[in-house]
Amino acid sequence: MSIHLEAPIATERYGDSAVMVTVRHPDAALRAGHIVDVRDRLVQRRPFGVTDVVSGLESLLVEFDPLITAAEHVEYALRLLADLPPLDALHVTPKNFVIPIIVTEQTAPDLDEVAAEWGVPSDDVIDHLLRSTLTISLLGAAMAPMMAGLETVRPIRRRAEPRTDVPPGSIMVAGTNAIIQPFPGPTGWRVIGRTPLTIVDINRPEPVSFSTGDIVRFERIDTAAAARRDGEFLLPNTNGAPA
Amino acid sequence: MTDTAHLDVTDTGWLTTFQDLGRTDTERRGVPSGGAADQHSAAVANILVGNRRGAPLIESMGGELAIVPDVDVLVAVTGTPSRVTVGGAHVDSWTPVVVPAGHELRISEGGLGARSYLAINGLLAVERFLGSAAPDARMGFGQVIARGSEIRVDTGFHGFDRTFFDQSLFRFPVPRLAFDEKPWTIDVLPSDQLVGIPGMRELVAESIYTVTDRSNHVGLRLNGPVLHPDDRTEIVSHGVPIGALEVPHADELIVLGRYRSLTAGYPIIGFATRTSLAMLGQAGPGRELRFRWVDRDRAVHAARAVEGELQKLESVVSDAFVALGVPTTFSRGLDCARII
Repeated sequence: MSIHLEAPIATERYGDSAVMVTVRHPDAALRAGHIVDVRDRLVQRRPFGVTDVVSGLESLLVEFDPLITAAEHVEYALRLLADLPPLDALHVTPKNFVIPIIVTEQTAPDLDEVAAEWGVPSDDVIDHLLRSTLTISLLGAAMAPMMAGLETVRPIRRRAEPRTDVPPGSIMVAGTNAIIQPFPGPTGWRVIGRTPLTIVDINRPEPVSFSTGDIVRFERIDTAAAARRDGEFLLPNTNGAPA
Repeated sequence: MTDTAHLDVTDTGWLTTFQDLGRTDTERRGVPSGGAADQHSAAVANILVGNRRGAPLIESMGGELAIVPDVDVLVAVTGTPSRVTVGGAHVDSWTPVVVPAGHELRISEGGLGARSYLAINGLLAVERFLGSAAPDARMGFGQVIARGSEIRVDTGFHGFDRTFFDQSLFRFPVPRLAFDEKPWTIDVLPSDQLVGIPGMRELVAESIYTVTDRSNHVGLRLNGPVLHPDDRTEIVSHGVPIGALEVPHADELIVLGRYRSLTAGYPIIGFATRTSLAMLGQAGPGRELRFRWVDRDRAVHAARAVEGELQKLESVVSDAFVALGVPTTFSRGLDCARII
């Protein structure tokens, strides 16, 4: 984690109760990295009146109560936070996850299209996924883990026509990101596999076991192994760092 | 002394659920705050029965919600104008009402607005997800109340100490929503992107937009004239506040609701003010809306005025209930669940 943010942040008023924060820099990866840094600082040192934060890939929506603070105060606090070195408390050790996936015609309906886009055999696309070390950059809709660091031949385009109902556990990719669908729902991302594990369980006191900054790798398993692990709750790897 | 009241649900609306003002501090983990679409009516209903604003209550859409308690309970009905009866006799909305044991409370929505709220003095026995009773259907937390089910409330209400009448007549200074047959006016703050669509500000100001039946808790989809920006550069998905006005690629306007997720990257032209969100939460299919551009000072001033009215109501209800021996659970100061 950087000590100082080399790129300046920009803020924009989003109505009477929110400020949008972005990072000014031509490099998208750097923008995405810095915004994670700003979010961690903000969440750790919650400025008075800030009620919640919504993470985007390269942005942060900071929501506040306008009856006890004002956009000017929030923007000032954000600039201070961006200038300060991060708290030691931020240096938590990331957890490691090894997530099993099955790749079949049924569970990876977009695999051939991605392969065609890259001009490689389908197995090559899965090899890229399996050798990627991904970092959870944010929790997306319904606590879905959004991961950065997917190895690609070139960034993956979204589908022109979104799929309306993708089953839970689907491994989806777009750009150089991957995400796992926790609940059935629509997506414009490419579906290239599925995990039999339960990613989000709302009946547990902590519905997810992962948080931002954690490390994820995927391992391919066969359908028999998948059947044995069907519904198992995703937990971090306890055998140290993934091989 | 607190006892458990049991309420038989003898009828429900098209969708009747447990509800509250939503989750706090969960959006950074990908869970929308959710909660009552019309936060104002929900908060007022709770205040009118002596509950804190964020207490669990019942939200109902359409149809007729009806309950029968096994002991006397103190309730309040707010939201869309409705015909409310107790044992067949008409009673008022937006005021505390006693439903005697064995009598049916029935709420027949009039259709001007989309939702009614029913608060009951005490604490509803509800399941919670991340600290809130608000449904999140997408995550499998439905909170639907079915006909024939039983609702439990831990309540300290045992009738009024002054027993000249069964029904006490209250005249509280209640900040009610103004429902109208004519188009509703929604105050909006312009976004920085609005200037990138020449003519849009004027077009929105002079047009009428109609809520379509493709609307849901994620957003209202409106029929009406729109303009699109010339340059369609790809916008990276980002967070958006409740009440954001989006222009998708189709010729329609979307107003995002309490269950929105990251935007798909459509241009945003403005944001409904906090005080306008309640009426947006009441706007059902067919409702005509007008948008009025306002500045931030006006938006915050309006929010402060409403907060003042709610605090005044809490104070007056508290005084009256203490005199009548009715338990209240109001919280004070910055702890109070503020309408988001």
